[in-house]
Amino acid sequence: MKDKIRMTAIIIISLLVITTGALFSLKSFAIGEIAGGVAGVFIATTILVFAIFVFIRGNRDMKKGFPLQDERSRKVIEKATSKAFYVSLYLLLAIGFLSDDLIKFRDVSQAISIAVGVMAILFAVFWAYYNRKEI
Amino acid sequence: MKTRIKELRARYDLTQEDLARKVGVRRETILFLEKGKYNPSLGLAHKVAKALKTTIDELFVFDDE
Repeated sequence: MKDKIRMTAIIIISLLVITTGALFSLKSFAIGEIAGGVAGVFIATTILVFAIFVFIRGNRDMKKGFPLQDERSRKVIEKATSKAFYVSLYLLLAIGFLSDDLIKFRDVSQAISIAVGVMAILFAVFWAYYNRKEI
Repeated sequence: MKTRIKELRARYDLTQEDLARKVGVRRETILFLEKGKYNPSLGLAHKVAKALKTTIDELFVFDDE
């Protein structure tokens, strides 16, 4: 039951993030910001692929009677989250530093959206790394 | 760290999936434990040892032993 609730929460949050990413891209394309639109599509697609992977894997495991999370998978998530957080700190600093000179963001919301998207991608990358590594 | 999980699993004719269900973890956790690539908590080590009718001492062999 707990796993079913967790699975439903993952689906709802993923759909919300993907919808937001798609709306962000549409808005960017509509006002002629191709780079922002492409970034939005890339981020939404990455999250979509990760969400589909998590859903298929979780569904298969639940049918076989395995828990969605256990001691090791929680450790993997903890490690991936902390590493994504540390790297994101540098990312936010870089965005703040470069936003005046090199990168021209439409507004603050665009910079925040891209930072959040990159944080999600970083989490997915670190998760895939630690899921295969000795911990 | 080396483990005797694979050997004891074979003795009791258990697959990785069977042992994972018995212990209440994911199959990958058993796989990584067998390879010695995951240091389990004392609680998990106890559960695995109990499922394989042995003790933690017998199940896990550390390199400095």
